[in-house]
Amino acid sequence: MDWEIADLEDKFSVDLTEREGKVTISSVSVNGITDECPEIRISRVGKNPTIILETESGSRPAYVMKIDGKWWIHLKGEVYVVNEVEKGGKSSESTGGLSAPMPGIILEVMVKEGQRVREGQPLMTMEAMKMEHRIMAPKSGEVISLNYNKGDRVDMGATLVELGD
Amino acid sequence: MFPEWMKGAPTPFSSVLVANRGEIAVRVITAVKEAGLRAIAVYSDPDSNALHVEMADDAVHLPGNSLTENYLNSEAIILAAKSSGAQAIHPGYGFLSERADFARDVANAGIIWVGPSPEAIETMGDKISARSRMIESGVPVIPGDEIAIPEGSDHMGALASVAARVGYPLLLKASAGGGGKGMRVVHEPKMLRTEYEAAAREASAAFGDGTVYVERLLTGARHIEIQVLADKHGNCIHLNERDCSLQRRHQKVIEEAPSTAVSNDLRKSMGESAVLAAMAVDYVGAGTVELLLSPNGQYYFLEMNTRLQVEHPVTEMITGVDLVQKQLEIASGMTLGISQNSVGINGHSIEARIYAEDAKRGFLPSIGTLGVWIPPSGPGIRLDSGVRQGDQVTVDFDPMLAKLIVHAPDRKSAIRRMDSALSSFVALGVTTNIGFLRNALLHPSFTSGSITTDFLDSTSINEFDPEYTDPRLIVSIAASAKRLGLDKLANIHSNSDIDDHSGHSGDPFKTLSRRFP
Repeated sequence: MDWEIADLEDKFSVDLTEREGKVTISSVSVNGITDECPEIRISRVGKNPTIILETESGSRPAYVMKIDGKWWIHLKGEVYVVNEVEKGGKSSESTGGLSAPMPGIILEVMVKEGQRVREGQPLMTMEAMKMEHRIMAPKSGEVISLNYNKGDRVDMGATLVELGD
Repeated sequence: MFPEWMKGAPTPFSSVLVANRGEIAVRVITAVKEAGLRAIAVYSDPDSNALHVEMADDAVHLPGNSLTENYLNSEAIILAAKSSGAQAIHPGYGFLSERADFARDVANAGIIWVGPSPEAIETMGDKISARSRMIESGVPVIPGDEIAIPEGSDHMGALASVAARVGYPLLLKASAGGGGKGMRVVHEPKMLRTEYEAAAREASAAFGDGTVYVERLLTGARHIEIQVLADKHGNCIHLNERDCSLQRRHQKVIEEAPSTAVSNDLRKSMGESAVLAAMAVDYVGAGTVELLLSPNGQYYFLEMNTRLQVEHPVTEMITGVDLVQKQLEIASGMTLGISQNSVGINGHSIEARIYAEDAKRGFLPSIGTLGVWIPPSGPGIRLDSGVRQGDQVTVDFDPMLAKLIVHAPDRKSAIRRMDSALSSFVALGVTTNIGFLRNALLHPSFTSGSITTDFLDSTSINEFDPEYTDPRLIVSIAASAKRLGLDKLANIHSNSDIDDHSGHSGDPFKTLSRRFP
């Protein structure tokens, strides 16, 4: 099993050993490269979603729970979301397609198929949670397909627009 | 039976229906119960398991799939009040709280309305009539030219000429708007049509009224608002200011009291203007006069919110006055019981709004299961929450989950307390703005007390990046948690299909059997 952190492109794999409820990290590789790893030991606290993280700089608690298929971690006031991915498998983040950030309704489609767009150009507006959101082109390129029309209801994650180079 | 404290009140009542949901319904229901009154909740289908329903003494189901069929349906709510024997209705904020027709219908149904008169709501609710009433009463108003643009009329020509007279940048506002909805900044003429259409759409979706008007955008101003309280006997006082300058697209993010920009003299002057504004419409109850304070020390009337405000707790913390309890006292016809001279300022209070939104993705609302929800606690920390652990956050409602409020002897210690409270706030399963709030709070512009309303919209989001943590630590935690069996900790599903098992769908109390650890 490999691991990915939301918003980071790197892929991690972790070697660990467990003895009596205490995990010791032997190595962590980043994109297949294993560097020297700090000493990390992790143990669980009771039946709570809590672990104790021990490093050279001391130990501190963190909250961890698997929720809706993702690992959510609260450490030092920050939240991280970690995904499990098949070893050597494709990244879970798709590329080229622009997906709906949330369920909602398409209010307006500003581009046509085959049209070239520049980075940051508004492609669609959608309404979700009573607010309007503009879907912008993340890069310059050609609109390969438009999958929805004005007034359509879309689910979260639905591919709205496919952008080519 | 009426509670002891209501003895001798001209119009006593023993039960209150709270016509709202989420954290404000919870806040009001708590106060109603504490006051010794029966609290009655209303709820739509997606809310049948909601916290406010669990907290109330009784709950009435509102049928229908859209807000206009349930929470915005005045007939259904008055019917719910009658069927449950409610003697008073508290509207909270949002929804029907500023609908004059609703206030009128409630009174006509023989139910006590916890709020101002329909006439006061009407006058203040229409920004144009409010403005002219303020001019008559000697309350300063924002410079600029204004015009009402009725929906459906040939508006673009008229709008363009008024916009040219007022000058850019300008603000397009829905006359019936609020909370940042139906409000758009227009920087240049070519964006006028696009922004107008967006504002009109948002306003008609949220408020059922598409009228929009034009106003000069004041830059470098602060948003200062004055809390007022008025009884039915002509007494009106103010409870000092709140500074709500930290805004994003006109939505307040962090609020505090007192303001670093308001001196004692200015407070007195603004307070007197606010009382004047309230008296101009014979105001009754708790209300807020919003003012813009320009860099040269001049202030202008922005609008009056004829209801309880989201950020009312910071005023409660520094004055020691429970505003909801006061609303109930006033509704029963009692006198204020506080004089202007007895209103003081004790320490400093800050409120941060906890939203289910992703600051890294343009603040898009986020959804999911609140698998872990462990709010901070301790001296001087208050949480007004509408959710609890295990709740689903959906697209059905406003993404505000809770409000975190701190109180401390001075501003510096209040900032430290808020920072510490935010960093120990554990909310997992739904992306929240907690990290963003912390970074905004600790930004030098905020800590130095010099925030103006355009700060967040003109500051790059990159300035709010969290401190670096070795990503190898993070994946090590996930991998270890998996090895240690934390994925088998609780059965968190993305859909709550408990109803299938309980066999009594629609019963609000089924929620009692559904609590995550």
